[in-house]
Amino acid sequence: MGNPVNMTNHKPKQSADSSAGAIIEETPLIAGNHTFSSITEKISGVIEGPTPKMWWVLFSFSVSLLLILVGSVGFLIWEGTGIWGLNSPVGWGWAIVNFVFWVGIGHAGTLISAVLHLFRQKWRTSINRFAEAMTIFAVICALLFPTIHVGRIWVLYWFFPIPNQMSMWPNFRSPLLWDVFAVSIYFTVSLLFWYVGLVPDIATLRDRAKTRGKKIIYGILSLGWRGANRHWRHYELGYLILAGLSTPLVLSVHSVVSTDFATSIIPGWHTTIFPPYFVAGAIFSGFAMVMTLAIIARKAFGMEEFITVNHLEKMAKIIMVTGLMVGYAYSIEFFIAWYSGNDYERFTFINRALGPYAWAYWIMVSCNVIIPQFFWSKKLRTNVTVLFILSIFVNIGMWFERFVIITSSLSRDYLPSSWDYYSPSIWDIATFVGSFGLFFTLFLLFLRFLPMISMAEVKGVLPQADPHHPMYQKSGEAHENK
Amino acid sequence: MTSRSENTYMMPANNYGKLAIVIALIGILLSTFGFVKDPGQFFHSYLVAYVFWVTISLGALFFLLMHHVTGAFWSVSLRHVVESIVATIPLMAILWIPIGFGIHDLYHWSHESVMASDKLLAAKAPYLNTTFFVIRTLIYFIIWGFISYKLRSLSKRTKSNNDILSMRKVSAVGTVFYALTVSFAMFDWLMSLDPHWYSTIYGVYLFGGAYLNGIAMVILVIAALKSLNLLTTEVTSEHYQDLGKLLFGFVVFWAYISASQYFLIWYGNIPEETIWFKRRWEGTWKAFSLSMIAVGFIVPFFALMFRAAKRNLVFLSSICLLLFVAHWMDMYWNVMPGFHRGNVSLSWIDLSTMVALGGLFFWTVWRSLASRSLIPLNDPYLNKSISHKNF
Amino acid sequence: MKTNELTYGVLAEFSNPADLMHGAEKMRDEGFKHFDCHSPFPIHGMDQAMGIKRSVLGYIVFVFGLIGAVCGFALQAWVHTKAYPLTFAGKPYFSWQAFIIVTFGLMVLAGAFAAVLGLFHLSKLPKFFDGLFYSKRFGKFSDDGFFISVDSKDLKFHDEETSRFLESIGGTNIEVIRGE
Repeated sequence: MGNPVNMTNHKPKQSADSSAGAIIEETPLIAGNHTFSSITEKISGVIEGPTPKMWWVLFSFSVSLLLILVGSVGFLIWEGTGIWGLNSPVGWGWAIVNFVFWVGIGHAGTLISAVLHLFRQKWRTSINRFAEAMTIFAVICALLFPTIHVGRIWVLYWFFPIPNQMSMWPNFRSPLLWDVFAVSIYFTVSLLFWYVGLVPDIATLRDRAKTRGKKIIYGILSLGWRGANRHWRHYELGYLILAGLSTPLVLSVHSVVSTDFATSIIPGWHTTIFPPYFVAGAIFSGFAMVMTLAIIARKAFGMEEFITVNHLEKMAKIIMVTGLMVGYAYSIEFFIAWYSGNDYERFTFINRALGPYAWAYWIMVSCNVIIPQFFWSKKLRTNVTVLFILSIFVNIGMWFERFVIITSSLSRDYLPSSWDYYSPSIWDIATFVGSFGLFFTLFLLFLRFLPMISMAEVKGVLPQADPHHPMYQKSGEAHENK
Repeated sequence: MTSRSENTYMMPANNYGKLAIVIALIGILLSTFGFVKDPGQFFHSYLVAYVFWVTISLGALFFLLMHHVTGAFWSVSLRHVVESIVATIPLMAILWIPIGFGIHDLYHWSHESVMASDKLLAAKAPYLNTTFFVIRTLIYFIIWGFISYKLRSLSKRTKSNNDILSMRKVSAVGTVFYALTVSFAMFDWLMSLDPHWYSTIYGVYLFGGAYLNGIAMVILVIAALKSLNLLTTEVTSEHYQDLGKLLFGFVVFWAYISASQYFLIWYGNIPEETIWFKRRWEGTWKAFSLSMIAVGFIVPFFALMFRAAKRNLVFLSSICLLLFVAHWMDMYWNVMPGFHRGNVSLSWIDLSTMVALGGLFFWTVWRSLASRSLIPLNDPYLNKSISHKNF
Repeated sequence: MKTNELTYGVLAEFSNPADLMHGAEKMRDEGFKHFDCHSPFPIHGMDQAMGIKRSVLGYIVFVFGLIGAVCGFALQAWVHTKAYPLTFAGKPYFSWQAFIIVTFGLMVLAGAFAAVLGLFHLSKLPKFFDGLFYSKRFGKFSDDGFFISVDSKDLKFHDEETSRFLESIGGTNIEVIRGE
């Protein structure tokens, strides 16, 4: 995977001599000598060109997995949650593990769009579009699990404050209801954010469309966008406001998910560090998934000039930082469990590390705490193959983290007589595997029909997009107003 | 590139340093009198003042670490100001000594008879004992002192990229140590005041307040320098706006973390945990707690929301002073309810210890500022920092 | 034939963002009000160059966010104290602490809808028909074209004079937009 073309991008950094006054030359965000027009050609070209054979292969595979999901969910609705491996102490099994896993992954997209936008990190422009798409699809997968976990999904509307003939209202004091609100609001806001970002690019597709059908569809979706400054000025502020609203929202979502556990009084669940710890874990897993997908997509569609090794390195750094935060939380939890002097707290943590689920615990620690430490080395974090492999390990580790938290605490709680070991049934596994089918089907459709990189934003970070750039100074007279 | 000469950026002679030391001496005198009169009150007041000021130095240290780790260029022209606040860490190490003497007045667990008679506390004895407590504090200060010494000496000769990269390396590793030491320091100095109580988020919660007020201190020192007509063009409203944004972000962060702690304990409703909040909800403590939310979150949140507010130094500094009030309340609220059960009971020693430590703090900051140019003149990013603009 | 046609305005092309911004400044100084700059991406400083104020969207979002929060809190308080009071986990009916999360969520939801609908409303979108779409060249704006358009409703508008002015400030491919 180490493409020699990418490696040359790093050359300027070393060439800057260390004499006084020299600043580190910033690696250009977009490699190659791209013009505005070549960006349009390259990115729209993916959608307008013929469908690659490989796409069909992957799509058929994803749809097959999706069919497994449809089958296993269908059987679940027919038969009930008894088909899962749930037992008496472990009432929450894989379904909730998968829910938290997918919601976690769904954190990177909005984080990249919103938080990095607020921090003026321009490198986000190359990855935000498909990271947001990934967010939306991951949240769809996440929403699926609690939905089917309720058992009787035909009364799902009880979750919402809809006036009804039973005069019954939802319990707003329950963390599970907060989940319903937090995750569905998160989904809605992410979708709005994504759509707003898409409008100028859809206008490009409209203006390039050859057939009448495409013109109409893209025409409607782009709302008559004319790239006018009287649009952009509201658009820019609107985007900034959405970023400002999404930032606390994205941090709140996983905090709310953490309250599902932390408001209870189960040892290993009831601990005050859970909200920020879950948020750090979510960003960690989300970036790992973006990394995995970015490496595949840039290779498959030849986008190495847009998603450079520099971009991947920056993501690797974020993975490392959030990995350290997760490691911090593991250690503090362990220490405070001991410090509390409470027998149940102490037992829970010793049981995690040495009990029947020790294998899962150590997978979690190795993948989430030890593996990201490789990213301290610049050599490793700029090697695409290494990044790809390590990002997958992080994805695995974060699934196991949720598994450890949920299962180990439930399977051995206060009363030893009710302890039991939990293992999943074939239907648990099928549903989980099938959810990847749903995710990848949606993701492949996105890659085929919408621009995977934001053209308007990438054009905006090219040096020639800045009207005050030195290259324009010689021709015209100096600006009167800055 | 404009060349700047060293001399024009040295701080001219002024009275601020002298003023600080005079105030400090008055504070020390009064506090000594307080110590003779009521040692119990003195040690508790001293602890409040101490954690107030030490968290501010630690917050500034974190500001410096983040400046290097993220490679931020906008804050280059502020770097010497930040470093001068970090320079108070050795002072803070010395000022810890009275706490070591007051250990029996402050910490219940330091009495061996108490530990022996309480099963829960006996289980914690390997950690909560006087010797280990002092050793740990020593370790914290060695680590903080080492990080700040290293960054300061590297900063002195910053000329090239390699210097910047080596500061980045020190900071990256330093941040890891910082996170652990600050958390444990807060567990030790504050959480163990009530040795039965525990909360995993406690370190993050105090870190949030520390960083927030570290930023506030940076703004206030700049305001003080501006009042002497210094740094007129080097630190601009663009910098205030960035500092204001950080301040806003960490007002929210502090509120989020402290609300999480409260909320989960309130919801779980386990007596051994709720007792801590119960103590802070009795008598006049309730009004104190509620006003802390107003002063520390609601007012600064709405005040800092607007762009114009962040770009006006006078307004921004008054918000910083308000945040200092909130931070003092926060520290008081963490330390005192165990000592003054039932009702808030303010003492003049609370004020005298704050003044004594504050005077020494400012004196150290000022001496450090006077020792070299106010901005890092040789830093290759300096011009970029000065001309930086928010969009 | 010509009698049926309407004149929508004049369109001029500029070669790069810097020229577009210079052009906008001159349009502003000349006293044009109903003109616009079209570019494939937003250009910072263009508002000032065109002489238009900062967007008011922020205030709209603030108001709607506040409405969302107040309504959200009121709904929960009403449900738990009046409509359907249930004792649950030993908590009081009016547990404001537990209402914060949904209140916050609804605030963000209302604010986000206000931001998106507001930004399109202020931009006068959706607008599926616009005179500019008659131009063959205009489609380039979404690729690499930079244009200034002058609307015929501008008081200073005169198709020939405006065209000449646009040419004098560096515009090329001047086109008077006509259509039915």
